[in-house]
Amino acid sequence: MLDGIMIGLSTALNPYNLVFVVCGCLVGTFIGMLPGLGPMSAIALMIPIAASLDPSAGIILMAAVYYGAIFGGSTSSILINAPGVASTVATSFDGYPMAKQGKAGKALAVAAYSSFSGGVIGAILLLIAAPFLAKVSLSFHSTDYFALMVLGLTAVAAFAGQGNMLKAMLMTVVGLMLSTVGTDQTQGIQRFTLGMIDLLDGISFLLLVMATFALSEALMAILRPKASDEDRKKEQEAHNNLGSMKVSKEEVKEIAPVIGRSSILGFLVGVLPGAGATIASFLAYGTEQRLAGPTKGKLFGKGSIRGLSAPETANNAAATGSFVPLLTLGIPGSGTTAIMLGALIGYGIQPGPRLYIDQPAVFWSVIVSMWIGNIILLVLNLPLIPYIAKILAIPARFLLPLILFFSLIGVYFVSFNTFDIQLMIVFAVAAVTLRLLDFPLAPMILGFILGGMMEENLRRALLINNDSWSFLWERELTLAILTIAALTLVVPMLLPLYQKWRRTADRAGEGG
Amino acid sequence: MFFTKRRIGGMLLLAFCIAYAILSQRIPLLPFQAKSAFHARTMPEILAVMGTALSIAIIVLPSPAEYVSTKGQNWLTALAFLVLMSIYGLTIRPFGFVLASSMLLGVGYWLLGERKIWLLLVTSVPVAIAFWALMSIGLGVFIEPLPWFLRG
Repeated sequence: MLDGIMIGLSTALNPYNLVFVVCGCLVGTFIGMLPGLGPMSAIALMIPIAASLDPSAGIILMAAVYYGAIFGGSTSSILINAPGVASTVATSFDGYPMAKQGKAGKALAVAAYSSFSGGVIGAILLLIAAPFLAKVSLSFHSTDYFALMVLGLTAVAAFAGQGNMLKAMLMTVVGLMLSTVGTDQTQGIQRFTLGMIDLLDGISFLLLVMATFALSEALMAILRPKASDEDRKKEQEAHNNLGSMKVSKEEVKEIAPVIGRSSILGFLVGVLPGAGATIASFLAYGTEQRLAGPTKGKLFGKGSIRGLSAPETANNAAATGSFVPLLTLGIPGSGTTAIMLGALIGYGIQPGPRLYIDQPAVFWSVIVSMWIGNIILLVLNLPLIPYIAKILAIPARFLLPLILFFSLIGVYFVSFNTFDIQLMIVFAVAAVTLRLLDFPLAPMILGFILGGMMEENLRRALLINNDSWSFLWERELTLAILTIAALTLVVPMLLPLYQKWRRTADRAGEGG
Repeated sequence: MFFTKRRIGGMLLLAFCIAYAILSQRIPLLPFQAKSAFHARTMPEILAVMGTALSIAIIVLPSPAEYVSTKGQNWLTALAFLVLMSIYGLTIRPFGFVLASSMLLGVGYWLLGERKIWLLLVTSVPVAIAFWALMSIGLGVFIEPLPWFLRG
């Protein structure tokens, strides 16, 4: 492991790569700050640039953009109560009230220290967990991989929340369907190409991600009614009056145990496929509110420093934790890591247990770059926040066409095919329609990324088993994983029914 | 009302799944492939069945009373941007990167309310040239910057 850390350090501390960590953190912070644009859009916008770099530098750049975007999302949550992404919604519960009390600077500092601690503790846990899990997963067969992919996809649906499960499942299936467009890899048969030569290679992953996230986010912003003068004035005031960024010793003592607990909780939630930073931040917030006791618990939602620290720590630790299934099993746990998986595949690197052995520089430099990225976020971004926040004052009429331009050109610079621009517009229209109808898009991306691998593993599993589907129940590990996948789907459906039954039984007991 | 957001989405995706199912039956198979347990149609057929079943479930099951609201949204501006992007796709080759991109940005700013001509020019042309320079000189990704009539 020590050798690995040394490889990672020498790669990540290489001045060339260090420049990408710094740039990634700054660009990510800026993009993450823009309401509506989150880590997924930020990483998607970086792919064309990352594609022209070597794999280590490219992945380091994208990872840095990832933490930067999470940090940037927190900034807009605190300053203008406009979370860039779902994972920073819980941050706004106490961050924004603090800003309204004139403590925006302190709230930003607490958010930065908490993110830093969560990220660093998460990276230490990743350092321990990833090689261990990679070794274990070396014994996995293609049948197990197929089952793991099914688990990854069902978990995304299961964590989508009550009422959204069916929608998330359907969107996953749509993503899987889109992955079948193009020439069949083993038999060379054209599928769903509609006779178009441009579709022979299938739909580009970059195109789909850019269209469904960056482009559709910008179009949604264009669709939204213009903000009133009062809202604009309020935002401007928040940018200008940040207040002191100093955190007292008492406050440090108060948040230290919160950071410890939330880091571990966030990391564990992040490791679970599909759970991700949003659930981690809400869980940490709820846990700390309960642990704070009745007096301090009442302060939650009114500017509690604990209430700000918990979700901030947890979402960063979860972001780090989501790299565990990606790096060790090659299965992305979230939409963001799904995009990173697509980028890795673009480099010709197949994440999974062999990555640890075959590409140690990539594996370790990602882990080490997380520490460096977090340090840079703290050392560079925090003092720069007052200035970065002013960039937010750039009017939307200039920002939105620029986002559209970078999205279009990002795809065109990779393929040099104008058909891709037209196809992007079609997908963007579909994505905007689905957003307006409240259908989640992240499960679709996850399905699209895993679709090809899933089909390949299923095909291989059937070939090994002489065209028999019996491997689904004959191999213990495959059966166990598939059972867990089934349970992740069934339990959230049955839980409300059980709770309803309990309430009825309790009422009947009280009545009797 | 029956047509909630959820049900409209379900119906649109049901139409997509049915179209997908029909097209999946047009995937050509050789006779020996058709008999194997897994062929080019297997996955699409499974997905078509799953997608159709899920869409129907979304339409049929009780749905929260949330409806699509089209009021106050800038539909025309969004539509104009779609046309603008499509024109950009058609003009980027003949007009060259700098001219086409400057037009996309300038018209984009104008559509969103900027009316000062000098500001439209200052915020579009330099961005297009700077981005071209970054990609071509900085990262070695070349794209023709000039329109067809100025090329050598």
